[in-house]
Amino acid sequence: MLLTSAIVTGLGLGSMYGLIALGFHITYTVSNTVNFAQGSAMMVGAVLGFTLMVTLGMPLWIAAPIALAGCGVFGLIVERFLVRPFVERNSDAWLMATVAGGIIVDNIVLFTFGKEPRSLPSPLATNSIEFLGTGVYPLQLLIPVVGIAVAVALQTVFRRTDFGKALLAVVQNRDAARLMGINAKVVIASAFAISTALAGLAGLLIAPLFSVHSDMGTLFGLKAFAVAILGGITSATGVMIAGLLYGLIEALVTAYLGSTYTQIVVFSVIILALALRPNGLLGRAAVNKV
Amino acid sequence: MNRLFGSSNPAMLAAIAAITAGGVVFALTGGSYFTFVVALVALTTIVGVGLNILVGLTGQISLGHVGFYAIGAYTVGILNLNGVDFWLAFLAAGLMAGAVGALLALPAMRVSGPYLAMVTIAFGFIVEHSIIEMQGLTGGQNGLMGFAGPSLGGFAFGEREMAILAIVLAGLALVFFDRLARSGWGRAMIAVRDAEVAARSVALHPLTVKVAAFAISAALTGLAGAIYAPLMMYIAPSSFMFSQSIIFLFAVIVGGIGWTLGPVFGAIVTVLLPEMLSGLAEYRLLFFGAMLLAVLWLAPSGIVGALSRVVPKRRGMTQDALPEVSIAEFLRREKESESLQVSDIGITFGGIRAARDVNLTARPGCVTSIIGPNGAGKTTVLNMIGCFYKPSTGSIRLGKTELAGCTATVAARAGISRTYQTTKLFPSLSVMDNVLVGLRGGRLGNPLAALDQPRDTAVAEGLLKLVGYEGPRDCPAADLPHVDRRLVEIARSLALRPSVLLLDEPAAGLVQGEKITLAKLLRQIADLGIAVVLVEHDMALVMGISDEILVLDAGKPISAGEPSKVRSDPAVIAAYLGSGELKAKPRAKGWSDNGEKVLAVGGLSAGYGSVGVLKAVNIDVGAGEMVALLGANGAGKSTTMKSLSGLLRPVDGAISLGGDMIESLPAHEIARLGLALVPEGRQVFPELSVLDNMRIGAYRRGKGDYSGEIEALLNRFPRLRERLHVRAGLLSGGEQQMLAVARGLMSKPRILLLDEPSLGLAPQMIEELFSVLADLRDEGITILLVDQMAALTLAVADRGYVLEQGQVVRADTADALRGDKALEDAYLGNDRVHSEPRKKVPA
Amino acid sequence: MVCRNTSWTRRLVLAGISTAALALSAPFDLAQAQETIKVGLVAALSGQSAKSGEAITRGLSIAIDEVNAAGGINGKKLELVSRDDESNPGKGLLAARELVQREKVAVLFGGLDTPVSLAIVPFANQAKVPFMGVWAAGTNITRNGAADNYVFRVSAVDAYVGEALVDYALEKKGAKAPGMILINNPWGESNEHALHDALKKRGVEAVGVEKFETNDVDVVPQLTRLKQAGADVLFMVANVAPSSQVVKSLDRMGWDVPVVSHWGPSGGRFTELAGPRGEDVHFIQTYTFTDNMSPKGQQVFAKLKENYGVTSLADVMPATGIANAYDALHLSALALAKAGSTDGTAVRDAFYEIGGYDGLIKTYDKPFSPENHDALNAKDYVFTHFVKGEIIPLN
Repeated sequence: MLLTSAIVTGLGLGSMYGLIALGFHITYTVSNTVNFAQGSAMMVGAVLGFTLMVTLGMPLWIAAPIALAGCGVFGLIVERFLVRPFVERNSDAWLMATVAGGIIVDNIVLFTFGKEPRSLPSPLATNSIEFLGTGVYPLQLLIPVVGIAVAVALQTVFRRTDFGKALLAVVQNRDAARLMGINAKVVIASAFAISTALAGLAGLLIAPLFSVHSDMGTLFGLKAFAVAILGGITSATGVMIAGLLYGLIEALVTAYLGSTYTQIVVFSVIILALALRPNGLLGRAAVNKV
Repeated sequence: MNRLFGSSNPAMLAAIAAITAGGVVFALTGGSYFTFVVALVALTTIVGVGLNILVGLTGQISLGHVGFYAIGAYTVGILNLNGVDFWLAFLAAGLMAGAVGALLALPAMRVSGPYLAMVTIAFGFIVEHSIIEMQGLTGGQNGLMGFAGPSLGGFAFGEREMAILAIVLAGLALVFFDRLARSGWGRAMIAVRDAEVAARSVALHPLTVKVAAFAISAALTGLAGAIYAPLMMYIAPSSFMFSQSIIFLFAVIVGGIGWTLGPVFGAIVTVLLPEMLSGLAEYRLLFFGAMLLAVLWLAPSGIVGALSRVVPKRRGMTQDALPEVSIAEFLRREKESESLQVSDIGITFGGIRAARDVNLTARPGCVTSIIGPNGAGKTTVLNMIGCFYKPSTGSIRLGKTELAGCTATVAARAGISRTYQTTKLFPSLSVMDNVLVGLRGGRLGNPLAALDQPRDTAVAEGLLKLVGYEGPRDCPAADLPHVDRRLVEIARSLALRPSVLLLDEPAAGLVQGEKITLAKLLRQIADLGIAVVLVEHDMALVMGISDEILVLDAGKPISAGEPSKVRSDPAVIAAYLGSGELKAKPRAKGWSDNGEKVLAVGGLSAGYGSVGVLKAVNIDVGAGEMVALLGANGAGKSTTMKSLSGLLRPVDGAISLGGDMIESLPAHEIARLGLALVPEGRQVFPELSVLDNMRIGAYRRGKGDYSGEIEALLNRFPRLRERLHVRAGLLSGGEQQMLAVARGLMSKPRILLLDEPSLGLAPQMIEELFSVLADLRDEGITILLVDQMAALTLAVADRGYVLEQGQVVRADTADALRGDKALEDAYLGNDRVHSEPRKKVPA
Repeated sequence: MVCRNTSWTRRLVLAGISTAALALSAPFDLAQAQETIKVGLVAALSGQSAKSGEAITRGLSIAIDEVNAAGGINGKKLELVSRDDESNPGKGLLAARELVQREKVAVLFGGLDTPVSLAIVPFANQAKVPFMGVWAAGTNITRNGAADNYVFRVSAVDAYVGEALVDYALEKKGAKAPGMILINNPWGESNEHALHDALKKRGVEAVGVEKFETNDVDVVPQLTRLKQAGADVLFMVANVAPSSQVVKSLDRMGWDVPVVSHWGPSGGRFTELAGPRGEDVHFIQTYTFTDNMSPKGQQVFAKLKENYGVTSLADVMPATGIANAYDALHLSALALAKAGSTDGTAVRDAFYEIGGYDGLIKTYDKPFSPENHDALNAKDYVFTHFVKGEIIPLN
């Protein structure tokens, strides 16, 4: 029972980490930058979801697309004002700018949405069901399925569609991509929008199991970054696998060694893993001829 | 790189002294709150200096420095509570943090970029959680208090004295950074950051350099933490959270990465700003975030970086009179025995044998050349000799020393020095420092002594003169023109006093006159007793100066011997030299002008920043016409191509693409209108397969079935068919060039622009390429061509323009240009090199 | 065009910043002649504990309004100056120094975080400024070992809470094998010690101690360990959101174990977050606003409605923060009035002189003495639970 519950917990959380981490993967591959406000994007997704569904009483099927679109807009803003100005001037300050952006958004939400944590109700997270000898909410089983499905869909889009190819071209050689008629700015901006929308989706999915508040994304964002790195930020598959692994390690360490050691073990594993595989699990170094 | 705000002069020391004194005055006169704030600014400065060494010099980001700060604070706290004197504990804190830093550097060395950021973040969390769990020692979550502060000669330090201690230490840290940055160590850190591969080849040991940077950075941070504990009188894990690491890094970024005084300004902003905002109570963090962002927007390269643009630069540092040195004496090798003996080496990459059974002897005083088609394994052989690759078989001996399997650093120390196909200077170091770093040969010396000692400077100066570099010595290498980069790189390799000098395509991209100078230089170097090993495609150059030639094809030797013997070897002719003299097919019957202009350029002026390159250029290309653009390096040919394609904006003048005005359009829109540029250096998408590269060429045409066209192109470029599913980055230079042309054709352009397509290609490949271009021309494709191979270019072209210093100085038919004697001397000598008569080979 | 635009935006931002900087540097000017008596607050006003800072601010403000309406202290009005400590001891200490040395506050009030309070304690004693804790319950905040102690508190004390929780679990719930599920922060750690001590006194041993992080979504692994260790009652110490994660995890596991909790659940809409099982959690309080409260309670509740848009009892949270702050301010006002000056030592000594005061939490009688700096003790705690979103005392 300990094992089953740890596995269910681990996979559920892990796929959330994976979804947010996919966002890191997308922006990094396209523009070599990372949006450190990714955790805030997750929070924005959950807060918009709560506001639309609970405060304004909209049904899920209307509220969810609006919330995700809102997150996408957040991504566009991040790219336009927190990343592009610095990349254009060859400065690495986007790193700090996105952190500052996260602080600003978290605080704006704190003073508008409110300081108390709220609960986003979901019929899938009120009554637990029996699953392999342990009690779970149906949502917990749904989350990994959605997470993996989204990751696979994304991978397919990248590999198979023109947009995906354009994205990869921009990643590898922006000027050459422009010479092919690809609007690099639009491609990069949409990569940011997709990445924040993914984080928003994670926020919407996790909210009923968790609580909605301005600070809910911080730790998730950080863990997701760890996941992206662990998996190899250049590989979507690696990121998703790393997400599941991270969730599992976290849950299993807690279950068998005790919660005292969870953070120390998990972070040590990360350092060790990166020392052994400097490009993450499935990440690979770019083609580099001397 | 840095003048008033970060340079070596006494002004810097005076500035640091003034800031320190100012801080002390504040601490003495201000109220105790103010004293405390100033102390925190000083501590943040110390941490900032530590981070600046890591971020500014070695280019590594750390988001875990709060871990070292905590280690320093807890070391002092715990020792102090166990009765150890503060000063002893203070030293222990620095040592402890430094040791942990060195330890962390080991896994951290293997990673870079975001991966390194994550390793450091993880480190910070491990420290925080370890402190929480080691309750017996650290007091757990609720921390430690009740430390005895430091005392000096019986006088116990109060808050004010602690503040002064912090300020003085901060001043010392700034001086330390200033000296370190100018020392051999500091320059080596920058070298390793800029180009790790090249750093190895000047005998630097990147691991040592990086571990040293990490340890010093950590130790400084630990010392700051050591003062933090008694200053605060209480420490707890919640004082050392991740967010504090971000603030530290922020202080360095906002101050200006790499600037000596950056951390001071950064610390002032990050400590004082929140204090100024404290009246906002709960809204402080919100406004703090917003103001951080505003500071970043205003000064993306940091406050000191922004100020340095306002403060006038003092040009032309007065240089003390340099001692006399003889460069010939410096370079001359006495020992006859030190010839390089390469026997039967081979190597395999992923099952492919890139080289096998290669034998080569490079004698002192001789030029030994390696030639062969693109992808023959020439550079691979150089990489094995330079010990960048470990050969799977065979031996590489320099004198009696076996080098096969050594590291590049060891090879460099043993006397093997090299240059690269694409020059690998240290871009942010000055020309002079590039040579000086080479001169150190890995012996970095006193970390507090400046790199530019007079004798060394004199030698470096002599080397730069020897190679014929005439530009400014303090110019960052990144800003050098192409030719100068090659020259400075040769000077840097000579600074190592090598026995063997390896040169990888030094003549690529040079025009005729420059090639002649280069040939003389190489011969001169050999005559000093150095064994020169040359990989080069320019046959006139190779045949002119070589004593021995080794010919490789598909990784194995096919011929070797004196130039005359190799030149007439049928196997070499078949595999590499082609017909021997480069030829291309002219148009069978003259091009007929129907008056339709595909491209019309009027009064085009363009440049980079304030530097104007093109001045009122007029060019037009008719439908189906092939037009050549000729000129020396720096005449503005590539700038013209970039302006036409939209990569360079803004430009003045008018550009009409078949009636569409495109001078103000961005590159992607111009591409969509049907102008395809095959850019200089191929620029294929290295991670995409050959097939995907071709498909993406058709991006502007939208969805569709292009398999027929791809098939046709594969027939035209049979080499690509064999490698259809290989990542383009793994193709040889010639194959990449074919792919780039194919990719351009996939867009069915109204006009095809080619920028230096023959660059770096073997003669036989060049012939193949020009025959393809001639075919395209005959099929009616409109082409504008820029190429160094002027004679060939004019052979295939219908008309040509000659650019000089950004202006069109001649426009005429190709025939007329071909017959022009003046042009011939300047540009057309593709297969005529006038080299110095060769001295007899010393047996 | 592009260039010009950028430089315009830049200039605008620059102008904005300089104006803001000028405006904000005003606090650096010397404090004006003291027309009022300032009291300071250093608490978490932003971040995940922002709600606690808001509650304290409300309690203090209502009490200050009352004192000022009654003519102030010896003719001078009270004024509250607040600073955000971001739950960071370093920031808290800096803010305390600023309030004492620049704003010249007569009394300093503390917030939720024990480490922040602990960081301020040595400074307060050194600067001889009374420091009044209204929330942080770390035992050694007031019992700090200083010869000259300036730290007072109107709040729970972890050592007493430990006793109370253990008594309740043993007597009311018949615990034989208690387990602990604690938030991994200073508060959790402090209570771990207090609970262990209290259990030891009664000859009982905890069968397991598990910790979890504030943002943990799932606590099932920890709880499963406790269940397997045979825990028959759980002690829970965590804020409202993490507490609700514990309850939700218990619900999923289907483990029906009694939960005796510190006051965390009172910090928000516990039953909304935790679901109906939240009503089974019994937790400790120093004060609750109820339907049948004292006249003082009604008066404060009316003010809350008037000033802060509170509509129902369910909106008043956390009640303890408001009530502690309210009583602490009134007690401080009494001391200030008695001292007749804002001299720290005089005010500190005046705290010992306070006789009786009819407060919101209780009627105080000589609440402070040189030996006892805590106004509340184990007898003042009540056990409560949520019913339909409101906190109801258990009897």
